[in-house]
Amino acid sequence: MVPPVQVSPLIKFTRYSALLVGMIYGKKRYDYLKPIAEEERRIEAEEKKKREELERIAKELAEGGV
Amino acid sequence: MAQAARRMLQRVGSRGPQLLSAAVAYSRPRLATFWYYAKVELAPPTPGEIPKAIDGMKAVVRSFQSGRLAQLTVKEALRNGLVATEVLMWFYIGEIIGKRGLIGYNV
Repeated sequence: MVPPVQVSPLIKFTRYSALLVGMIYGKKRYDYLKPIAEEERRIEAEEKKKREELERIAKELAEGGV
Repeated sequence: MAQAARRMLQRVGSRGPQLLSAAVAYSRPRLATFWYYAKVELAPPTPGEIPKAIDGMKAVVRSFQSGRLAQLTVKEALRNGLVATEVLMWFYIGEIIGKRGLIGYNV
């Protein structure tokens, strides 16, 4: 077999520092986005409840034939 | 349709061990080759290599300042670009590990 290439220490070093920086970046960004998305979901659910309530009232009124 | 599916399942079921051993037989020599190269080429830098890496970085900066970088051949520049892209891909692998999900940010 062809002997393995001796990779330059600079490339090795930048590779693994890029991996580490990526891991930290991914973790930070995930932790930043998570609460925002949760808040959005919560507001969405609240609005849906409100909308359904209004629809229910409108339907009742229409059926009541006021 | 259902019959055909059942027949196929039966066939896979009866031939399962055979397929598995074929897969092992196929991948073992290839994995051995992979490890033979990966152990040397993909190894993280040893602590002793870090000063050498810093020297390498200094050399890149020096070649940039002295204008040597503008005298690279197209082939060399292309090769350097490919290496830089590869290193960038390691960053994205790190990001995938950091966010613990392959597709997007599953928030």
